[in-house]
Amino acid sequence: MEDYHKPDQQALQALKDAANRLRIHSIKATTAAGSGHPTSCCSAAEIMSVLFFHTMKYKPQDPRNPNNDRFILSKGHAAPILYAVWAEAGFIHESELLNLRKIDSILEGHPVPKQAFTDVATGSLGQGLGAACGMAYNGKYFDRSSYRVYCVLGDGELSEGSVWEAMAFAGFYKLDNLVAILDINRLGQSEPAPLQHHVEIYQKRCEAFGWHAIIVDGHSVEELCKAFGQARHQPTAIIAKTFKGKGITGIEDKENWHGKPLPKNMAEQVIQEIDNRIQNKKKLSPALPQEDVPIVNIKNIKMPSPPNYKTGEKFATRKAYGLALAKLGHACDRVVALDGDTKNSTFAELFKKEHPSRFIECYIAEQNMVSVAVGCATRDRNVVFASTFATFFTRAYDQIRMAAISESNINLCGSHCGVSIGEDGPSQMGLEDLCMFRAIPNSTIFYPSDAVSTEKAVELAANTKGICFIRTSRPENTVIYSSNEDFHVGQAKVVFKGKDDHATVIGAGVTLHEALAAAEQLKKEKMPIRVIDLFTVKPLDKKTILENARATKGRIITVEDHYYEGGIGEAVSAAVVGEPGITVTRLAVSHVPRSGKPAELLRMFGIDKEGIIQAVKMAVSKSRNAE
Amino acid sequence: MASNFPKPEEKSLQALRDAANRLRLHSIRATCASNSGHPTSCCSAAEIMSVLFFHTMRYKPQEPGHPSNDRFVLSKGHAAPVLYAAWAEAGYIKEPELLKLRKIDCDLEGHPTPRLPFVDVATGSLGQGLGAACGMAYTGKYFDKASYRVYCLMGDGESSEGSVWEALQFGFHYKLDNLVAIFDVNRLGQSEAAPLKHDTDMYRKRCEAFGWNTYVVDGHNVEELCRALWQASQQKGKPTAIVAKTFKGRGISGVEDADNWHGKPIPKDKVESVLNSIQSQIQTNKVFSIQPPAQDVPEISYKDIKMPSPPAFKIGEKVATRKAYGLALAKLGNANSHVVALDGDTKNSTFSELFKQAHPERYIECFIAEQNMVSVALGCAARNRTIAFASTFAAFFTRAFDQIRMGAISQTNINLCGSHSGVSIGEDGPSQMALEDIAMFRTIPGCTVFYPSDAVSTEHAVCLAANTKGICFIRTSRPETPTLYSQEEKFEIGHAKVVRKNDADKVTVIGAGVTLHEALKAADELAKQGIHIRVIDPFTIKPLDANTIISNARATGGRIITVEDHYKEGGIGDAVASAVSGEPSILVQSLAVSGVPRSGKPEELLDLFGISAKKIIAAVKSTFAN
Repeated sequence: MEDYHKPDQQALQALKDAANRLRIHSIKATTAAGSGHPTSCCSAAEIMSVLFFHTMKYKPQDPRNPNNDRFILSKGHAAPILYAVWAEAGFIHESELLNLRKIDSILEGHPVPKQAFTDVATGSLGQGLGAACGMAYNGKYFDRSSYRVYCVLGDGELSEGSVWEAMAFAGFYKLDNLVAILDINRLGQSEPAPLQHHVEIYQKRCEAFGWHAIIVDGHSVEELCKAFGQARHQPTAIIAKTFKGKGITGIEDKENWHGKPLPKNMAEQVIQEIDNRIQNKKKLSPALPQEDVPIVNIKNIKMPSPPNYKTGEKFATRKAYGLALAKLGHACDRVVALDGDTKNSTFAELFKKEHPSRFIECYIAEQNMVSVAVGCATRDRNVVFASTFATFFTRAYDQIRMAAISESNINLCGSHCGVSIGEDGPSQMGLEDLCMFRAIPNSTIFYPSDAVSTEKAVELAANTKGICFIRTSRPENTVIYSSNEDFHVGQAKVVFKGKDDHATVIGAGVTLHEALAAAEQLKKEKMPIRVIDLFTVKPLDKKTILENARATKGRIITVEDHYYEGGIGEAVSAAVVGEPGITVTRLAVSHVPRSGKPAELLRMFGIDKEGIIQAVKMAVSKSRNAE
Repeated sequence: MASNFPKPEEKSLQALRDAANRLRLHSIRATCASNSGHPTSCCSAAEIMSVLFFHTMRYKPQEPGHPSNDRFVLSKGHAAPVLYAAWAEAGYIKEPELLKLRKIDCDLEGHPTPRLPFVDVATGSLGQGLGAACGMAYTGKYFDKASYRVYCLMGDGESSEGSVWEALQFGFHYKLDNLVAIFDVNRLGQSEAAPLKHDTDMYRKRCEAFGWNTYVVDGHNVEELCRALWQASQQKGKPTAIVAKTFKGRGISGVEDADNWHGKPIPKDKVESVLNSIQSQIQTNKVFSIQPPAQDVPEISYKDIKMPSPPAFKIGEKVATRKAYGLALAKLGNANSHVVALDGDTKNSTFSELFKQAHPERYIECFIAEQNMVSVALGCAARNRTIAFASTFAAFFTRAFDQIRMGAISQTNINLCGSHSGVSIGEDGPSQMALEDIAMFRTIPGCTVFYPSDAVSTEHAVCLAANTKGICFIRTSRPETPTLYSQEEKFEIGHAKVVRKNDADKVTVIGAGVTLHEALKAADELAKQGIHIRVIDPFTIKPLDANTIISNARATGGRIITVEDHYKEGGIGDAVASAVSGEPSILVQSLAVSGVPRSGKPEELLDLFGISAKKIIAAVKSTFAN
């Protein structure tokens, strides 16, 4: 409390005036666009005014300066008011606000990072606070700097479990540099939010999750200023009781006004009314931040030494991931790792052992883990790797999708892919992860098949833009590459090759080793085949695949420990389907698997050595018959 | 209230303690036999399971799937061996079967799946059981209006999952007083202690803040458990949470409460002494008389649900498929009283509000919590009590991908409708556009993916989905598009429609939703220029009508162009490419969205991302150029 200096009346009036100007901007912009959410902006007008022109410290002409306080608009549909504050702060021209949602304007319907003041895209609700946690964790424990993190949430999105994962995270790690402002405007999209205006229930919940929670009148700039002035040794939640459409006569606190712009004539009248309340047109300026953020360089990170494996040695790629990550941690002190209480399975624990201060245990909350990772990676502060079982990334698919829209460079490692995990059964098997990550724009998918290539994948991922996914396996497999083998994104390896190969078999991970065993056998049977290790499933090395397919009578057989849809078989089919004379036979997992021994399950789904041999023979006899 | 507690006799309490120890013995033996599994996670829950199965719950042990039975959901699915042990003690499973745990020829899998009749929903992906339990409890209270109760056992590790808090909020909001959640707070997670360790007071505060009637008990004290579960049964208007303080590996000396014992069977050299020590505490060998349930569940049967009347749309009439979904669902609700609808505060966008208006008592508002919505739908559909349709923006089903994945393992028949697919939603921008939903649902085993292109086919999709096993997904669109099909048109799963055909066709174009209409515009324009194309509406993307596609491709020079309002990966283009990948003479070109889109007008975006009529025309022409 001691650091709270009550602003004088004039300053308070200026904040009120700014809030009303934000309202006017929001109404004008959405009416011009013919769509958008002015009422969701109006409930947050005083909150935004106080944050941006009283509380937050930042450089208005350099929104992405690393010293700035961070701001996340978790209720992304209130984007117009975010654009409005940056216009008030002088970063955006006021006239640009009227281009809201147009195809040639960066002011999109929901915030995206092509706006310099947006670190993470929002619009899928309940994701902002997790990213804010990542930024706050970074500020407190990695940057050890004085910038603070503010996140505005709507009440509707507080139904999302991801919000409570983030609440638990911030409470657990005592993120006293983090403030969440809950804009309790009572109304959701199609009806009132479940807790309506019961601010005391929100307060109880926040407190139970380890937060200091203050209830305020969200339209009182004075109460807001006072609440923001309270310093605590825990994260702070400002529970702001507000009214949706506040300030708009006839609409305030009314249902059926979500996501609807005011009709033109109505807008003009409302704007006039609001304008009449403004006493002073003077623009406000924020306080500048302290310049105490360390300079970091996360470019061009190189492993300190080549891989230290011998060919023929048996090694699980999941373990090679942990070893590689720990090694990478020595190359750059901004490499950080996250895991969701699976670190002894994904082997992220090897990183933790060597770099305990750079490991974040996220517990069993995968959505929040991905959001925290995104937050840690913003403004290029860190190279972030997050791991769990590959299949549990499905829990965070929306967060991963939004991370792509956020232009994030996070790296995700999913272990325990496929039926080859064995006895634990289908709930633990990643069989849709390739499909899921392939459909993420600009993603890179590494599927290394031995320890050497896994280490290379980790190094490449650290230096690759966009979301990288590394798929690792549980079983121990033979090291097939020498330490000086070169790997590149989008470059496949031909790992078995003869003169008169009858077919090209494409595998990855455990199925590559099955393919190699099949190749040995078929060689003895005088039906030699070629075997390709894709290394990256996306981008796919179409050139190598086509060259080899053509050299092997146009026959390709793909074999993967993944469902049929969206995996290697489809990626290859899609890549070659524009080329005449090439056929693809796909071997994959066809239905929900079950518990059993890994080898039994590979057999059951026909993706083992025997299945491959059979498929090769069938493809050969089929085309001979066709001839 | 507690003073009226009918305290069991000491003899009965001892029998429950003994049963708990027998559950321990079974769990330890089974995991030793399989040489994998989670005996310590079973041991913390032994007394809870004993009291639930042999004191509190009412069920028919020889008919585990009986609709009148109390429901039990083991949310901490890795404790499967203690569940199997309970059913062995109840007499449903033969004891020797337990030793075949996790074997390929035994249905006692590593985590519970509905291959076992006593499992309603598969668990093993943590934090999902309570949402399903909420669906069962909602069904019991509001649809079946029956006396069965629902019990869900959760681990402390999984209470970090947000989905648990979504479910707690739901249980509170709908006053599910027939629901009990038991938190087995055994302190230890997989790789380290759970964040709240043994701070049971913190769990109590959180549950109370979420509106639950909450008791903290010693989870190894059968009497305390009996009392809390009895109190729960007396509680009106609120669900009950029982926070049970337990110890992981309870009863195994040297292992109890120790780190690094998660998911590890007891070593062979130790196991005999452990078993002997537990065995020595058992005083009775009582055969339990499990209380039968009240038989007050209404009989339901539904087969072959038909719409009461044919579609009432006229050819050419402009209707958005999302609106046609709402109309069709409301109509289906008239045909069958077990059709229920769920939505996540998007009902005025998905048009499920039309169902709500017609059948308010069968609509469940799930608010903005998509994971829980899917889990609740799963719970509602368990034991075939309802035909559940849940809707939100298609993009937001990504939030529930894990729940959908587990839904397939659960062999559920839920139907999901995702609106606002693709860039054609326009100004709202990429966060609201579904561009990966076809990929996501195609990779779900046994899933049927409907992508209707007009109001008539949407209505048929809804009716077919209601009658189709497995998960069904219906992808709807925001823009209004003309009705293409007559009222008499028949639709079948896996049957595509050739909507434009001429003997002179040079290429087959496959579109769906808005892109089918773009393809038709392209066909009209090209026809004026003397170029004829064939246009196919696949209706279902999975299963895909490969025969129709291949035969038409062959008839049009082996050329296919796919055009879709979806990312390139995993969508229609990929599906078609893999369907024809065995045909060396068929070539496919895919037009799809590449890169993250942006805000703009729908037609501007279709063109910007190369899936407009104009771009189809260009693709057709360049096909000839090559």
